[in-house]
Amino acid sequence: MNKNSKLLRLLAVLFAIVLIGAACGDDDDGDDAEPTETTPTETAAPVEDDMDEDEGGRLAAVIERGAVNCGVNDTLPGFGIVSADGANEGFDIDFCRVVAAAVLGDAAAVNYTPLDASQRFPTLQSGEIDLLIRNTTWTASRDGNEQANFLATTFFDGQGFMVRDDSPIQSVADMSNTNICVLQGTTTLLNLNSVLADMGVPFSPVEFQSNNELQPAFVAGQCEVWTSDASQLAAFSATLDVGTRVLSDIISKEPLGPVVADGDTEWAQVVNWATMATIQAEEFGITSSNIDDFADSENSNIRRFLGLPIEGEIAEVGLGLPTDFATQIVSQVGNYGEIYERNLGPLGLERGVNALWTDGGLMYVPPFR
Amino acid sequence: MLGRLLLLVIALVLAAAVFLVGRYAIDKATRRDTSDRPPPWRDLNVLSLAAQVVALGLIVTVGAWLWSNFRDRTDAIGLELTFDFLDQPSGISIADNPLSSDAGIRDALQQGVKNTFLIILLGIPLSVLFGTLIGIARLSTNWLLRKLATAYVEFFRNIPPLLVIVFLWGAVFLNFPIGASPTAEAAWRPLGGWFIFSNSRFAFPSIIGLDNFGLYQLLIAASVVASVGVWVWRTRVFNNTGVPHRRALWSLATLVVLGAAFFFALGGPFEFSKTTVEDRVWSGGFRMQMPYAAVMSALVIYTASHISEIVRGSILAVHRGQVEASHALALNGLQRYRFVVLPQAFRIAFPPLINQFLNYTKNSSLAVAIGFAELTSITNNLFGNSQPAPQLTLILMAVYLFFSLVLSAMGNLVNRRLQLKGA
Repeated sequence: MNKNSKLLRLLAVLFAIVLIGAACGDDDDGDDAEPTETTPTETAAPVEDDMDEDEGGRLAAVIERGAVNCGVNDTLPGFGIVSADGANEGFDIDFCRVVAAAVLGDAAAVNYTPLDASQRFPTLQSGEIDLLIRNTTWTASRDGNEQANFLATTFFDGQGFMVRDDSPIQSVADMSNTNICVLQGTTTLLNLNSVLADMGVPFSPVEFQSNNELQPAFVAGQCEVWTSDASQLAAFSATLDVGTRVLSDIISKEPLGPVVADGDTEWAQVVNWATMATIQAEEFGITSSNIDDFADSENSNIRRFLGLPIEGEIAEVGLGLPTDFATQIVSQVGNYGEIYERNLGPLGLERGVNALWTDGGLMYVPPFR
Repeated sequence: MLGRLLLLVIALVLAAAVFLVGRYAIDKATRRDTSDRPPPWRDLNVLSLAAQVVALGLIVTVGAWLWSNFRDRTDAIGLELTFDFLDQPSGISIADNPLSSDAGIRDALQQGVKNTFLIILLGIPLSVLFGTLIGIARLSTNWLLRKLATAYVEFFRNIPPLLVIVFLWGAVFLNFPIGASPTAEAAWRPLGGWFIFSNSRFAFPSIIGLDNFGLYQLLIAASVVASVGVWVWRTRVFNNTGVPHRRALWSLATLVVLGAAFFFALGGPFEFSKTTVEDRVWSGGFRMQMPYAAVMSALVIYTASHISEIVRGSILAVHRGQVEASHALALNGLQRYRFVVLPQAFRIAFPPLINQFLNYTKNSSLAVAIGFAELTSITNNLFGNSQPAPQLTLILMAVYLFFSLVLSAMGNLVNRRLQLKGA
């Protein structure tokens, strides 16, 4: 091959590259048939013609799919765990079912994705799950930096500490230079660092990805202290085969609730009102067993809530939910109190601040009208 | 996707046209005889060019598609792809590390890189040593030794490394006596407390320098030079006269005698340090966290099972005549391995060994499961708490890539020196 021919080949290849580059670039303006393909340089344009599930279309996508993709915990007794027969169950799991009942009329239409604490936000950001209900604490930086949208809190918790019952440790002040077991990627870890640093208590963190490893480490005594949300500690304390003591120190506020990705208000509202409907149902005294008695209720608030006709008219609240969504939620999953008792009652967790506002707790939801 | 493929085809046709027209013009200008040239659709030059353009086009198209998918998603949720977050406080702390949680994310990541490096630093030499011994044992004439080595290799080589790590941690290391107590009184302290084994930390004796320690280090360096000199001298004596050289013995003796002499001359420039535990603070000696010991041993055990097979294969690949020749020279078993078999086997073994080093490096990320704060663990921690996952993942990939490229560059360098010249 002579020199000219080599040069010519090079030229042809370069020309092809330029053409391909141009082809990729032209795609947005010239070819509206492919809305999923956009170029990195034109970030403003695709947002307009991109009407897929990322842009306000997740509700439609969920209805079309016929199932809610829910990111959950699978290692936390009471909140999210896999039962002996392989089913996901727990307090958080029930809220996945609440959303499925509200949107699709079928509480069983949920695909569960088990997630570690450190995987949960990347998974939510990627759009792989519609909804994250995995004992996730609402904080400002997560709301801001993780592109997460935190919705109505379903459980008000606080960070506590657990030691073995023969331990000399009585409070956080006694924890100087102890090994403290904690899960990775949690607010628990951040609180631990900042609170103990403020108190001038040095410690050595032992960080695990999952409770599956943390639990044996605590039982074997690799760490003297286990810190987590107080509800979780109570749950584990009830299931461990060593004697434990949960300290009275609570070092943080941990509001836990459902999370969706930023950028889709419609879907966020749907999840929010479905979640809050369980609390409203408890306030009305509607349970899964007595809901049929309310079919001829005279109370217009209750009729509106359950999607029953008032003077022949069914009120439409315009959330994109079926009018009978609350009926579906309560009859298929139950009200907040039922969900609580079913999952957390057996662990001996008192309602405490999670009681209804009418009972002096924090559970208060806006009116359903 | 379809429209893009269409454009790709158009680009291809245009490129082909440019090539053909250009070639025609050049042929004309240089008055080249083209009667023997096949038509373009049977011309190998044209066809291979077309194949390259198609391949390149596909790669670019798929890449652009992946990238635009990614950007769609980050735009939809408003994720910024900058690296400014590296200067924010990390909020995390690391066991046995003075780094405060107010230090930047950059510093936390650096500590992670350091811890990953520590797993590699000690683990790779140990894997080679252990793997070589097992590999030789597999060729032993001793029936029991051979079968035990085979069982070891077949067992560990065929289970995933994560399982080895979690199993060894849970079944062995967690069952050491409890060390997390005010004075670690339950811990196992063999050899008069110079060693401490517990399920939170391990401790070994170390050396701490006293007065004149700097001078002593210089003198030791000089002694090493002297002992090398003795080595060379003994070799020369052997070559000239045939008197047994015993150079290892000679140079070791030189080193020990000089080291001891200088030690006493300087009035004891160092002492051994013993680890003590008081109020849960471990001080003195050389200490390591239990998870570090666990993950390193597990990876060494796993990697050694692979290395031993490489060693065994390489030994078998040394020509049988070499072994017979060494028998004829009346070398004993040890000498046969040391002078004839292993040097030749090593040359064969080295390239696949580099692969194992790379595997070891990448497997070190599995330490995340048992709570050793290496790079992957720290990165996980960060993106669970408000730090952007795409950028952190990119950093993670870059660091492992760097480790791997450096290791393989070093390996290639050594390999080039080992190759037979002219082969």
